[in-house]
Amino acid sequence: MVKKIRASDMMTCAISRLLEDGETVFHGVSSQMPMVAMLLAKKLHAPNLTRLNIPGGVNPANIAGATYSSAGADLLASADAYFPLEEIFDLSMRGKLDVAFLGGIQFDMNGNVNASVIGDYHKPKVRLPGGAGSAVLIPTAKKAIIWRTKHDKRTFVEQVDFVTTRGNLWKIVTPLCIFEFRHGKLHLDSIHPTSSFEEVQENTGFELLYDEIKYTEAPTHKELATLRKIDPHDIRSNEF
Amino acid sequence: MDKQVHLRDAAKLVNDRDTIALGGNVLHRSPLAFIRELIRQNKSKLHIVKTAGAHDVDLLCAVGAVDTVSAGFISYETKYGLATHYRNAVQAGKVKANEHACYTVISALRGAQMNVPFMPVHGLKYGDLLSMNAYFVVVEDPFGGEPVTLVKSIVPDVAVIHVQACDRAGNAWIEGPKFEDVLMSRAAKKVILTTEQIVPENRTKQKREQIDIPGFLVDAIVEVPKGASPGGCYPKYDIDEASLKHFITLTDETAIIDYIASFEKIDYRSKGERAAW
Repeated sequence: MVKKIRASDMMTCAISRLLEDGETVFHGVSSQMPMVAMLLAKKLHAPNLTRLNIPGGVNPANIAGATYSSAGADLLASADAYFPLEEIFDLSMRGKLDVAFLGGIQFDMNGNVNASVIGDYHKPKVRLPGGAGSAVLIPTAKKAIIWRTKHDKRTFVEQVDFVTTRGNLWKIVTPLCIFEFRHGKLHLDSIHPTSSFEEVQENTGFELLYDEIKYTEAPTHKELATLRKIDPHDIRSNEF
Repeated sequence: MDKQVHLRDAAKLVNDRDTIALGGNVLHRSPLAFIRELIRQNKSKLHIVKTAGAHDVDLLCAVGAVDTVSAGFISYETKYGLATHYRNAVQAGKVKANEHACYTVISALRGAQMNVPFMPVHGLKYGDLLSMNAYFVVVEDPFGGEPVTLVKSIVPDVAVIHVQACDRAGNAWIEGPKFEDVLMSRAAKKVILTTEQIVPENRTKQKREQIDIPGFLVDAIVEVPKGASPGGCYPKYDIDEASLKHFITLTDETAIIDYIASFEKIDYRSKGERAAW
């Protein structure tokens, strides 16, 4: 086991590698880690990535100013063009958004996502921020990637309390591993080199499905050096 | 026509139980001086509409001014955490959270803009949001295609939008991201602008093609420099970190009322009179 890799770096690099050159990709509010990962991909292996965000900045050159928000005017100030949120939604509805990054609080083996409530919808025990665009983007984007900086039995549960949306997930990236959703079930795709099968299983509320045990490639020196350059304030770690 | 009024008089245009669309997004260009004035005037049972809200919704929920929130996301984002007062109010059953998928707020406002009772919305196909909320209905496509989800139009009684500049007639432009503000100005029955600055009409005339909200749609304008504080207003100022951090520590309503009162000087800086130039 490798211990000195930070979970935020591992996750950011893992997310970045899921993006392919030429794709059109969107991140929303409260999404600093995917925002950094998108620029990392663009710098390293996907120079023709088109990056979209809520304030409408197409391909912001600089994201270092997005210290407390991934929806601010700074993302438009260094962008190529203006393409606002409502048009991004329309684009996804037309089937032209390749990748959407979405959050959530609870996930289950059947690919249900909860970003809404714990307990009853109308009188919840815990009111969560809400799924933002998830419920329309997960079904329409070609690939939906979820990232969650917590991996425990309260996050990966047998059955979610509320189905904010479901289906058409592609990957879920956590501090311990990557899940892939296929044939209607979450499968363990790769375990980060900082973790182990036992640790993933201990922290997951359902029996892990997998075809083979694979490990995620550790962040490279080049990836880490690029991260330090594009994200000097380490906003990718804000959720930890 | 001179539409400039004092903040107090503009807020009087809002009635209890009104549906209010709020401009901006999370901590960006939210009409917070106006929100504070609504609270000073003890408005109640408001229905707030926004794709993604933060301090605006949280503040109104903290003082019991809200009946319903129709939004896709309510939180301060990662660094400043969750909207505690909103959460508590929903969990206590005092505020109804009508969760939308952001795009469905946009669709509901587009419906209002076009004066149709609902809008078909692609993409919202699965899950409990569909079954738990009466404002979403799945119907057969009368033209024979796949079933279609409809979202009920939301017609705001008032849209409140904070802009960087407008003239006395209300011709306004927005610098940086416009978020859903232009749509809101078309969807609402009344439009109130708060503005960082009122500029002479010869300046707005020079920018006629960049005007986002033409004055004839606007009912009242209020000059409130720093009217989006402690949120940010690009490119004039960023968030007031100290103020937000202080607010987050406040728990009881008296402390929150004091916090709101502490902005009075800033909020009332402009007296609603003609500026001298």
